[in-house]
Amino acid sequence: MNFLSPLLSIQSFAAIISFIAAMLVVVVVIFLVITSSTEEDKYSVKHKVYKLRSRYFFALVICIVAGLFISLRLLPYAKFQSEPDETVTVVAMQWAWKIAPGVTDKNPVDFTGGSEITVPANKHIRFVVTSSDVNHDFAIYNSKGLLVAQTQAMPEYHNALEYIFPEKGDYHILCLEYCGLAHSIMSGIIHVN
Amino acid sequence: MLQLNSIDIKKQRKFVLVWGITFLIVFPLLITLGLLMRLNQGEEIQLGMDRFYTLMTLHGLGMAGVLYSMAFAALWYLIGTRHTKLNLGLGYFVYFVVLLGVIGLAYATLIGKFGAGWYLLYPLPFKGTNWPAWSTGLSIVSLILLGVAWIIGILHVVYALAKEYGGLTNLLGWQYLGKKNVQRELPPIVMITTISLVPGLIAYLAGAVFLFMNLFQHFEPALSFDALLLKNLAFFFGHTLVNITLYCCIGWVYALLPEFTGREWKTNKVLVYSWNATFVFILFAYFHHLYMDFAQPLALQYAGQFASYLSAIPATAITMFGVITQLYHSKIKWGIIPLTFLIGVAGWAIGGFSAVVDSTIAINKVLHNTLWVPAHFHTYMLTGVVLFIFGFLFYLSHTKEEQEKDKTAKIGFWLFVIGAHCFIATFYTGGMNSIPRRYADYKGIPINSTHTTGALLAQIAAICIGLLLIGLFIMYGSIFNKLRKGKNIPMVPSTNT
Repeated sequence: MNFLSPLLSIQSFAAIISFIAAMLVVVVVIFLVITSSTEEDKYSVKHKVYKLRSRYFFALVICIVAGLFISLRLLPYAKFQSEPDETVTVVAMQWAWKIAPGVTDKNPVDFTGGSEITVPANKHIRFVVTSSDVNHDFAIYNSKGLLVAQTQAMPEYHNALEYIFPEKGDYHILCLEYCGLAHSIMSGIIHVN
Repeated sequence: MLQLNSIDIKKQRKFVLVWGITFLIVFPLLITLGLLMRLNQGEEIQLGMDRFYTLMTLHGLGMAGVLYSMAFAALWYLIGTRHTKLNLGLGYFVYFVVLLGVIGLAYATLIGKFGAGWYLLYPLPFKGTNWPAWSTGLSIVSLILLGVAWIIGILHVVYALAKEYGGLTNLLGWQYLGKKNVQRELPPIVMITTISLVPGLIAYLAGAVFLFMNLFQHFEPALSFDALLLKNLAFFFGHTLVNITLYCCIGWVYALLPEFTGREWKTNKVLVYSWNATFVFILFAYFHHLYMDFAQPLALQYAGQFASYLSAIPATAITMFGVITQLYHSKIKWGIIPLTFLIGVAGWAIGGFSAVVDSTIAINKVLHNTLWVPAHFHTYMLTGVVLFIFGFLFYLSHTKEEQEKDKTAKIGFWLFVIGAHCFIATFYTGGMNSIPRRYADYKGIPINSTHTTGALLAQIAAICIGLLLIGLFIMYGSIFNKLRKGKNIPMVPSTNT
């Protein structure tokens, strides 16, 4: 869905199509209530609805195929990522982020890093994310408060998240996986220059 | 058609009323926990982080458990009075074990302060906890009790139906796929019950493995399991539980709606293909919960999106078009029962669509674990499952004539529906604004707009919960009023098959 930006965020796109779908459902409900006041032979109704259903079925299949075709080309996984300009290691722990440039071979518990990092704008940045205790979620928010990228931080696993920061300024890191008592105050900062 | 004497039917009715009344007591209590959580997020009250997560855990586990249990009990009644004999002694055993599990969970959370969330995301229950170890152990044992009760209940219903209809393949409707004429018609509710409960059984067994691994860890802290494996097991169990709760409800919509439209709704080849496909989709859709676990094999990520997208075909093209066939130009009298079914199906459609949106990996990467997630599942649970359950409870308490004339019930119903949809709209708006889910409050978020928007939406949500609670209690009044009189209810349930 990257082609939608900067006109529309993915969140707005999701909200708009969901709202349109909800309104369609409301229209169908009102239509059914209004038309139910008169009676028609059930075989005639069946014939009409089944005809409509066939058309709906084909339209739905086309939508599903198109949806899969477009969206499955935009996956955030390693296979779809390009070679990074910079790599950053991120270790999550209850309840802080340890972040440092480069790749480390240290055990996540022994890894040291701060809760802030500086990276360049318009470069491929790869975050190698793991956890030293429980599951967390490394989520990047832009200055407007919009979630722009995320991946889980899991014990014993390393997830590679790639992002190109389009604007200079401060991006915030929040934890989006419930990780215990102080989950809601676990934050960090990415300075983009 | 099953022939039962009036005494047996009365006993089955009493049994389902025991479940129904338990549901009616527990449900608003769990809503109140949700209200307290939203008030805390709205900074209207100060629960403290530990209390918030305790309530969140009980709210999640309690709601999923009570809604599934009530859906199962309603199916039990309809199956047990129309299609095959079910053992009431075993039914009460299931009830008491479930009750024991619920009491255990309530004690572990409210007294023991257990707060690992419904999914006990391994290894969270054992690391950095602020609750005593015994409450973790009690929660695991309580969940095992619930699982055992549900497995016993499913095995009994499916076994009794298989015996009645000549085997599991007949329950799945496969006899409709051959060239031979079908000897005995299969009521849709029987097929849907099977297709809901058998994946449920598989998921509960996965849940049992998950819970026993947690129990081993509880007794032997030196143990260590693979976090990704346990996450898969937890979500397979949890997602399927919620998913089949909805499908159980659809089972009785197929059975009861024709009684009000006068149009039969029978099993045919298309219906069999459609529901058998649903069986597969139920098993594979849960992978969409793990999209942000990049370590998960890519094939499983694809499976999650494919299954989630494809599940829209049988749900809309078959069931929702089936509802349209039932209602279009039907001259139906819009009593409270068909109304709950229609608006419930609408809630399912709206929530289902936004769920499919979220099941798109390219979209999920910015919606995952934001308020969009509770938005979509509250849509099809609160304005889908709950309405179907109330439709069933009105069916139990009202005669056909009474349900048409009951204006009080309709006032309560519309207040509930409006309150519920407004409440859910605050979640969708939150998701659109990237407000994180499972945050005790938003004070610690360093982005001012996220903090203030999250708190404001929570305040509005609390007002909406107040409205839906008023509607809920008005519906309670109507149900209890009719149950108290009760003499007009037909003792032999009608059937459309």
